[in-house]
Amino acid sequence: MAGPAGPRRCRRLEAEAARAVLGAADTLLFDCDGVLWRGEAAVGGAAAALGRLAAAGKRLCYVTNNSSRTRAAYTEKLRRLGFPPAQPRHVFGSAYCAARYLRQALPPGAAAYVLGSPALAAELEAAGVPHLGPGPAALPGPAPADWARAPLDPAVRAVLVGFDEHFSYAKLCQALRYLQRDGAGCLLVGTNRDNRLPLEGGAAIPGTGCLVKAVETAAQREAFIVGKPSRYIFDCVASEFDIDPARTIMVGDRLDTDILMGNTCGLTTLLTLTGVSTLEEVQGHQESGCPSRHSLVPDYYVDSIADLLPALEE
Amino acid sequence: MASCRRLSGAGLREVLGPAQGLLFDCDGVLWAGERAVPGAPELLERLRRSGKAAFFVSNNSRRSVAELERRFGLLGFGGVRAEHIFSSALCSALFLRQRLLGDGGAGGRVFVLGGEGLRGELRDAGLRLQGDGAAAAAEPVRAVLVGYDDQFTFAKLAQACVYLRDPRCLLVATDPDPWHPLSDGRRTPGTGSLTAAVETASGRRAVVVGKPNTYMFDCIMERFGIDPSRTLMVGDRLETDILFGKNCGLSTILTLTGVSRLEEAQAYMASDSAAAKDLVPNYYVDSIADLIPGLDE
Repeated sequence: MAGPAGPRRCRRLEAEAARAVLGAADTLLFDCDGVLWRGEAAVGGAAAALGRLAAAGKRLCYVTNNSSRTRAAYTEKLRRLGFPPAQPRHVFGSAYCAARYLRQALPPGAAAYVLGSPALAAELEAAGVPHLGPGPAALPGPAPADWARAPLDPAVRAVLVGFDEHFSYAKLCQALRYLQRDGAGCLLVGTNRDNRLPLEGGAAIPGTGCLVKAVETAAQREAFIVGKPSRYIFDCVASEFDIDPARTIMVGDRLDTDILMGNTCGLTTLLTLTGVSTLEEVQGHQESGCPSRHSLVPDYYVDSIADLLPALEE
Repeated sequence: MASCRRLSGAGLREVLGPAQGLLFDCDGVLWAGERAVPGAPELLERLRRSGKAAFFVSNNSRRSVAELERRFGLLGFGGVRAEHIFSSALCSALFLRQRLLGDGGAGGRVFVLGGEGLRGELRDAGLRLQGDGAAAAAEPVRAVLVGYDDQFTFAKLAQACVYLRDPRCLLVATDPDPWHPLSDGRRTPGTGSLTAAVETASGRRAVVVGKPNTYMFDCIMERFGIDPSRTLMVGDRLETDILFGKNCGLSTILTLTGVSRLEEAQAYMASDSAAAKDLVPNYYVDSIADLIPGLDE
């Protein structure tokens, strides 16, 4: 997919180009993990860069696939790590967006069976969506034959899959029972497809994408994904704020989520190298003959968003 | 391309007459839930009397061969011998023994996502399992084996990924089945759904031992040296049993007492895709009891 001036070229953003691109933007959307911070440590210079952007009158929003935190928790983390003050309405997490989606997609009174975190439950609660779970499966006995006898809740019309450290075969069974009971009448929704969540030192834990894949495989159907790169999460931002895609920059560290979403939605995309994706991967996509891989190439890159500071000096 | 013809009358004798042996899937073919398919025990008895061999090829990785042998007895199938039973649990053990303990093998332990039936087969094959005792704790894990695991958890998934960071650690799955039917028509998640989670998390593709891959046929050949051109594959699942038969060069018979419906076979036949055509059986029967008239008295 080409940008306005032909295929995206992933140019380093610096000097005059940086001033021009930042000057032309009204809104910046930031992914968080790997962009603003890694774990509990802010990326050096990131808070200062966002401070300057805010002072220059830019609207800053935060768009994250992490379904383990509520919007309130994100604003608290932003504050704790020294970023400019943000309100929950500036934060678009996949948990919040999943709750919004279900509130609009479920018939009144219908509930969701949730494989996910307390934060996901809290967002559903706040959106007024009845739900079962999360937490460990409430098992009526030790064997699958026992679980198959537990009654199903008649109100459930959706299965929602988010990051779930209590994921188990028993919960997968329950999810499959609900999906089979109603067929197409039961929604299957996933917060995101991230396959791995990197930790310090090169290790990683399995991401929500694995759990979504398990449910999809057992049920032989595809989930509706709320988070990046799906348009849905961007549409949530656009419904809250008056966004002009031509004057909006998406800043992220993952090509297959942040950059792909930004490109698909007609935004300017900026890759930062403080997280998951590398320039070698970008090059691989650029050199592939495959048009869909070109959608993973950003307009620009920086080593870190701290590199934007010189362009923001008064 | 196979033509999915109903097997009956004269056709039965034409097809069964020359056959030296039949490979049977078990669930949905010989039994459904806790009951033998009516006429199935008699069919096996008649095969024996006709001098034709019967082998059993099951993707079900829950049961050890010994448990399966007992199950045959309990459900009224007389005289089925353990050495004719090939489960994905057994064949996964043989596969891992070959890769880890055979010539050029590096040894090492196996991290198993699966139950006691599977673990027992691995131990019987001489493999050492992660979690089986501290003695060889220093020995690295050289294979992750995903089987039917009703105790699967996020923690075990994360642990598997730690082992799979070593590119020398194999990722093996007992079978690809995404779900299995329960006796009341509902479904339970299969090994395939758990394997999908491990593959997604680790970025690796699993080597799948079970049908439709041909390794289980290699195990049968190794033990019995059968002639594929004189052997029939009988199964209830197009995507595993029938494709397995095609992959091994066997003529295939779909039985309708299990998972796949005749309409699905016909849809594959009508499809433009070459891959779909490999899922079309040569023949079908309503139940394997329908094969009895094709055998000598």
